[in-house]
Amino acid sequence: MTSAPHLSRRGFLTAAAGTASAVAAAPLLSACGTGAAITAGSTSANTLAKILPTYTPFAGGIKPDYPSIDGSEPGYLSYPTTLVHTVSETPGSGSTYNAIAPDWGAIPRTSGNTYYNALNAALGANMQWQPTNGTTIQTTLPTLFAGNQLPDWIEVPTFAQPPGFGQAVQTKLADLTPYLSGDKIKEYPNLAAIFSNGWQQAIWNNKIAGIPTVVSGFATGVFLYYRQDILDSLGIGTPSVNSLADLYDLGKEVNDPKAKRWAFDDIWQFMCFPYGTNFTPPQYIWTTDSKGNLITTFETEEIIEAMNWEASLFKAGMVNPEAVAGNTGTAKQRFWSGQNVITADGGGAWDAADVTSGTASNKGYVRNAFNFFTADGTGTPHVALSPPTEYVSYLNANLKPAQIKELLRIANYLAAPFGSYEFTLVNYGAKNVDYTVTSDGPVLTATGNKDVDAVVPILLASPNNVISNPGFPEVTRVSAQFVQRNAKYQFKPLFYGMNITVPNDLTTADQFAPFTGSGGINYIMYEVVRGRSTIADYQSTVNEWLRSGGTKLKAFMETVRAKYGDA
Amino acid sequence: MATRELVRTGKVLTSRGGSPGKSKLAVGWARLRRDKSLILMTVPAGILLLVFGYTPMLGLIMAFQDYDLYDGILHSPWAGFSNFQQLFTDPGFWHALTNTLMLFSIQLVLSFPIPIALAIMLDSILSRRVRSFIQSVVTIPHFFSMVMVISIFDQVLGGSGLLDTFLRSHGVANPPDLMTNQGLFKFLQAGEIIWKESGWNMIVYLAALAAISPSLYEAAAVDGASWRQRTWRITLPGLRPIMVLLLILNLGWALTFGFEQMLIQTPAVGTGAADVITTFAYRNGIVQGNYSYGAAAGLFLGVTSVILIVAANKVAHLLGEDGLYRSRQ
Repeated sequence: MTSAPHLSRRGFLTAAAGTASAVAAAPLLSACGTGAAITAGSTSANTLAKILPTYTPFAGGIKPDYPSIDGSEPGYLSYPTTLVHTVSETPGSGSTYNAIAPDWGAIPRTSGNTYYNALNAALGANMQWQPTNGTTIQTTLPTLFAGNQLPDWIEVPTFAQPPGFGQAVQTKLADLTPYLSGDKIKEYPNLAAIFSNGWQQAIWNNKIAGIPTVVSGFATGVFLYYRQDILDSLGIGTPSVNSLADLYDLGKEVNDPKAKRWAFDDIWQFMCFPYGTNFTPPQYIWTTDSKGNLITTFETEEIIEAMNWEASLFKAGMVNPEAVAGNTGTAKQRFWSGQNVITADGGGAWDAADVTSGTASNKGYVRNAFNFFTADGTGTPHVALSPPTEYVSYLNANLKPAQIKELLRIANYLAAPFGSYEFTLVNYGAKNVDYTVTSDGPVLTATGNKDVDAVVPILLASPNNVISNPGFPEVTRVSAQFVQRNAKYQFKPLFYGMNITVPNDLTTADQFAPFTGSGGINYIMYEVVRGRSTIADYQSTVNEWLRSGGTKLKAFMETVRAKYGDA
Repeated sequence: MATRELVRTGKVLTSRGGSPGKSKLAVGWARLRRDKSLILMTVPAGILLLVFGYTPMLGLIMAFQDYDLYDGILHSPWAGFSNFQQLFTDPGFWHALTNTLMLFSIQLVLSFPIPIALAIMLDSILSRRVRSFIQSVVTIPHFFSMVMVISIFDQVLGGSGLLDTFLRSHGVANPPDLMTNQGLFKFLQAGEIIWKESGWNMIVYLAALAAISPSLYEAAAVDGASWRQRTWRITLPGLRPIMVLLLILNLGWALTFGFEQMLIQTPAVGTGAADVITTFAYRNGIVQGNYSYGAAAGLFLGVTSVILIVAANKVAHLLGEDGLYRSRQ
């Protein structure tokens, strides 16, 4: 969940494909064709302790209405009226830089854009903001890297890292360790206030390689949502779902295809949580078997049970036909229109924009989420964390030290916390031009609606996420209370926060290709739950992956585990 | 210079080597001078073809490499034919290949005759206004993107579309979802193409029909030939050269057809029903980052397509048709 009101959530929520990459135990040098030595492996705990930027929370911030509990994102019911300044000097020196980040919304004009102009004036730099199509980012980035067309500053989401990204980090992207390690980060106090697990996500092979953005203290990737208003109208009220059996029964109760209302969308993304694990890279998919040996979650009984259970929903006709057909792009519309009662979506789906879109379809629209539960209803839920952020930005290795420092000062400005003057400028643009202040907080003007597109700056640098929906306090109340209740279930899976560079010959296996298709689909699982493939097909796919590099990758990960640890 | 003028000035050169007594070089030079206007007109198209058609083919080198994104083509290690060995032992590849041929054959058999039939029927309508109206209606879908065509089909035949909604409201508890039915997909994809392209393809046949001399029909009618006989003996033979040409061109697309159509519908019916060579190459090469493997699949596809075209053209010549170009024999 993020405080950025205009940031397109779609990519944040649905992006579930990609790779977080792996580590190597015995650092393995492989000379690539250009002669540069590539080190496979990760970062040792000792080195991490030495270089990890010193976490220094922002002092004097606004007290949240719903404080962070167990890492939950703090919630603010109203937008502060008195804004504090966190950056005293203009960060830029008038230089020109180009910056690329994915964007899932309409691309704003670049010439005469009031928002870009205001932001660049405040930054003291001629930033060339270049939004690129978020839906094709997975194919755009490899082209930029292959063609040596990297901009000065680039966002590389974890789910869109090109194959063998660890190599690129070592050869094409700037090493920020000399500028940010330890106490050096105090020169950039807003960056220092980013959670340490976020910074860990930006460290590759003993070096700070990037700047983590939109970091969350409770990153699960996906919540299971339901339409509270529909359940109320059916006389069900707040549902009591403590197991998959309860969920199935609720589905049967609300499913009514004749009325064009189906119980479920495709909820595969959520299905790992009742089993206390993760199923999808770049989430952490490594675990151990009963003997303590490293295996992937693809090889566990849990994933087979999860597939069988969701397949039962499809078989019973409880899944919306559009979801059966894989039309993921209209999943939100189905939920808003009431054609689905229960859906899986990211935490960022629960915000003011959602209310606006939902109430446009149904006046009484109310979104709520099920508390996490276990598959069989016994024991305490265990929620495997996703990477602390899916977004890390990187600087070009060709930049000179003075340029790197200038861009880090700019990043520091962009990372100003909620309640600051800088945060408001980054998210809303120029006062009385792009937005006006009302009793609910900043509201975009007609110009602002046209020009303000904060996605690119935010994906390059931003503070830790908070929950804030100016004008929609009820959304903040319900969602903030939800994360407060559920954050206690979180645990760190194996290799949490570790970036691992795999040797060249394992990059294909590390793509987990049989399991991850295009568009974030867990491909073979997707087929099984629809009844088009069998569990036997699935198992043969797993075996094929093991034969074609998976076993070797496992051995490599064992060496990583032995040398660097697993979290 | 127009042909008539060339004849008048005696500059017409035979295609077998020109005027007797002149060297080949002189004949070639004379030809160049004669055709310089035409050659100049083709230069822009030639440049486009060179830049966007042939130059990118250099990238096929990566099919013989273990291509590394960060090392590039110049520094990636050579892999010999290992990518092809892997390709030819990959069941997924053979499935994609056979599926391609099966889907293409069904699409060709079902969709090829329809524009011909449409053209003949439309040609027989005397009212120009009615003809124009029908022609417009059947041609418009050609301008729809494939995404839109599939969306329209989904809105009508999908699980929550018009047909199923109608059936549900009339007591059918579980109406069939035709858009996710793997068994029917081969006909569904042909149906989409028929709906989208038949009207457009009909235009070529209408032009060919217009080239058939009306005197042939008049003479046949005088001799008492029925409509069926006139169609069989005059119309279809008149259309045969263009039918053969389009058939050969279609064969050239056999392995590359349907990329967008299949890519969009793969989530609905799965790779088992919708995977074709192009989607196979895209998924392996671009999506999964295995560029060398994808390039190997792409090279196989290109070479096989060329062989198909050349073979089909040869068969056309043997049957006495022009094919893509007129045979020297």
